[in-house]
Amino acid sequence: MGDGLTDVLSHLLLAVVGLSGGFTVGSAFVALLIVLDLIPRLVQLTRAHRRSGLFESAIVFGALFWMCADLYDWRMGWPSGWLLMPAVFQGVFVGMFAAALTEVLNVIPIVSERLSLKPYLFSLLLALALGKVAGSLVDWLWFR
Amino acid sequence: MEKPSVVYVRLRRRVVVQPGAVVTLGQVARLVTRSDWERQLKEMPLHRVRPEDGSMVVIDMLQIVKAVHEWLPGLTVETFGEPHVLVEIAPAAGRKPRLVMLVLAWLLLFFGSGMALMNFHADVNMPHVQYRITELITGKAERHPWLFQIPYSLGVGLGMLLFFNRLFRKRRSDDPNPLEVEMFTYQENVNHYIITEEYRKKHDEEETRDRGG
Repeated sequence: MGDGLTDVLSHLLLAVVGLSGGFTVGSAFVALLIVLDLIPRLVQLTRAHRRSGLFESAIVFGALFWMCADLYDWRMGWPSGWLLMPAVFQGVFVGMFAAALTEVLNVIPIVSERLSLKPYLFSLLLALALGKVAGSLVDWLWFR
Repeated sequence: MEKPSVVYVRLRRRVVVQPGAVVTLGQVARLVTRSDWERQLKEMPLHRVRPEDGSMVVIDMLQIVKAVHEWLPGLTVETFGEPHVLVEIAPAAGRKPRLVMLVLAWLLLFFGSGMALMNFHADVNMPHVQYRITELITGKAERHPWLFQIPYSLGVGLGMLLFFNRLFRKRRSDDPNPLEVEMFTYQENVNHYIITEEYRKKHDEEETRDRGG
């Protein structure tokens, strides 16, 4: 009898640990996305001011769906052409993420100010983007 | 007999007008003055939008004071709030959200945030950690610790909603949500930059005109 009770209690504890762990991860993840100013930039591009709910729903559904698919092994078995969709969007997302990270860290303004490269800012940014594309392609297609 | 001749002006932060329109004082500011003047002052033209203005124009207080003095010398202008107003020039259709872009942005965030979370789980070896926690607490190892994973998934969703302030908020005006605040700060920074740039342009124009004349 006592053995059964500790069993129930330990399982309850497990569920509580799981819930609180999920809580921490979820809110930290959202906080990171917000700090990076990724969403305000998207709002500006789409001209969808005052519709934060739309962007929130995308983040929440995306994170939940893919996390569940990962944890519970939901296999969809679709033709491989469908891969193009996540591939393109995830590529753009990582690109924006990386750009936002350099922006938050103020790397480009400081360097261009110090070396007085302000007039060439656009070509510098282009070099940054092309370098990332080239590096990514070489890494995935050549060395792996 | 004579009433004090003062007009109190409070400029708005940002207004939207159509290309080619004439911006009037009533559009960019709230006024308090003698009621017979108020209507005429509201109709007073300040600026005609030209194609070379681009998409943004700044109208500053000095311009308004000048226009008011030309209309009625001796009228005192008392100002409150911002000393300038940002006039955005956009056709009526340009104000609506772009639907295609909106769908693309939604999909971008959907796939992107999903991948970011999976990245995080792979990075910290989440399956192993869950396996280990289950083993430590219950004493039995399970390949698929459902009892941990299901509350964990719920927790992720709840944590996000809690952060977005969607859970315990009854009305929209209660407490802003951090995303809305961030969007606002971003817009404020953009506005600040535009206003500074427009002032600089105006100053440059005046300087070249002074030198030429």
